[in-house]
Amino acid sequence: MATVNQTEQAHQISVSILRQGAYLIASIHAALDDEELGRFQRDLIRQITKSRSRGVIIDVGALDVLDSFGSCTLRNLALMARLQGAVTVIVGIQPDVAFAMVHLGIHLEDVHTALGLEEGLARLDELTGAGGARSARGSA
Amino acid sequence: MGIEALADRQLTGGLAELPALIRRVVASRIRDANAIDDLVQETLARVMTAQARLDDSALAPYAVVVARNLLSAQWRQDVRFKQHAHRLIDLTDASRPEDQVLQREESRAVASALAQLPEGERQTLIAHEVEGQATSDLAAKSGSTAGAVAAQLHRTRAKLRVEYLLALERTRLPTERCRPVLLSLSGGERRRQRELDAAGHLLECPECAGLSGPLLDRLDGHPEGEEAIIAVRSDRDVVRARQRGREIAAQIDFSSTDLTLIATAISEVVRNIVRFADHGQLRVRVIEDAARRGLLIVARDVGPGIPDVDRALRDGYSTYGGLGIGLPGVRRLMDEFSIASELGKGTTITMAKWVHA
Repeated sequence: MATVNQTEQAHQISVSILRQGAYLIASIHAALDDEELGRFQRDLIRQITKSRSRGVIIDVGALDVLDSFGSCTLRNLALMARLQGAVTVIVGIQPDVAFAMVHLGIHLEDVHTALGLEEGLARLDELTGAGGARSARGSA
Repeated sequence: MGIEALADRQLTGGLAELPALIRRVVASRIRDANAIDDLVQETLARVMTAQARLDDSALAPYAVVVARNLLSAQWRQDVRFKQHAHRLIDLTDASRPEDQVLQREESRAVASALAQLPEGERQTLIAHEVEGQATSDLAAKSGSTAGAVAAQLHRTRAKLRVEYLLALERTRLPTERCRPVLLSLSGGERRRQRELDAAGHLLECPECAGLSGPLLDRLDGHPEGEEAIIAVRSDRDVVRARQRGREIAAQIDFSSTDLTLIATAISEVVRNIVRFADHGQLRVRVIEDAARRGLLIVARDVGPGIPDVDRALRDGYSTYGGLGIGLPGVRRLMDEFSIASELGKGTTITMAKWVHA
């Protein structure tokens, strides 16, 4: 597992992007403001091309709020990734956050989601029709 | 009051005309355009804070009274500033002995106000507020119910506030109507306000007009209650505001789901300020009525205003390329929600969530 973007340190504390085989695993560790969210979006899209990734996991388990702007950014990210031939799965949306999102009227129907990282990787395997991460991890 | 009632009032009631009315009152007394804007927004924010406790017919008269009070406070401040402009010291530090006198005055006023209460009510209030006995325990002792005790405590507090202010300001009430009117305002009893024509009385009686401000625009009795004021200038403030709001909300018994709903609602309204207005502020505080506690959130901005409030409250309407959520979504997250907006001047959103038992 290699850490990507080690040179860009500005917001590495709140965000990490790791490569695992043909997949990228991006984790958001703390609440991001709009600018940081935008930078995260750009970094991840560039990294998809650079790593020739076929799948992306975005782990939002540490977020206590996903408002309309945050959700919109995630959805756009998934759409951009798709244009590059990569599938995105968002994992870790907390129960309270899911409740708030639905009440607010956010529908992420066109984005794949999974409960946690394990489920997300399994989902990516299904969606890409291959064991990209499985083979890289060397175990099933 | 439910969301629907508030929505109806927003669409049909007199609130829409309030900004223009307030502006007329303010503009007739001062000239500085910026000061006028500030005072109109401040007045709106205060009226909307008091809205839940006021009968509809009283909103406009109350707005006039608040605007007048703010104007005279502003004038006093200006005069004080001019008088002391040549001094280069911080006046707040120089006033220590005065502070002590003020403190003595306040405790005298509290003692005098407590003495005005009927014996039984005084004992219950002290048992609850000072000794910390739960309403359920008090109910068991008196053979009553917790709800009835809470309602009685609410009325007692309303009385105490009135008596405290009267003692503090050393005010003599000129008419027999004054005390009942003040009590109905303090307790937020809308029906009683209508019966007494409290609104009409406020316009006639300068003493009651002066006291109505602190009675209606108050930090409610929660002992740890504090008001957080968060200045909003950049998108960084969105995260800061919702985190601060969540902290305040966590002081009372909200479920974790409600805390998330509140933080999300704050995030949305503060982001609106950042997107559409130059700057603004968010105020968050704990409030309480007869039987429950809640959180009051007031978001104010100095911005372009919303051209069509009705439309902005309809689902699917969005002024920027978001998900078309905006205000209708926020309204669903909260228990109470209202907007006052004035084109070219600014928008004030007032919303509340109650702790559900």
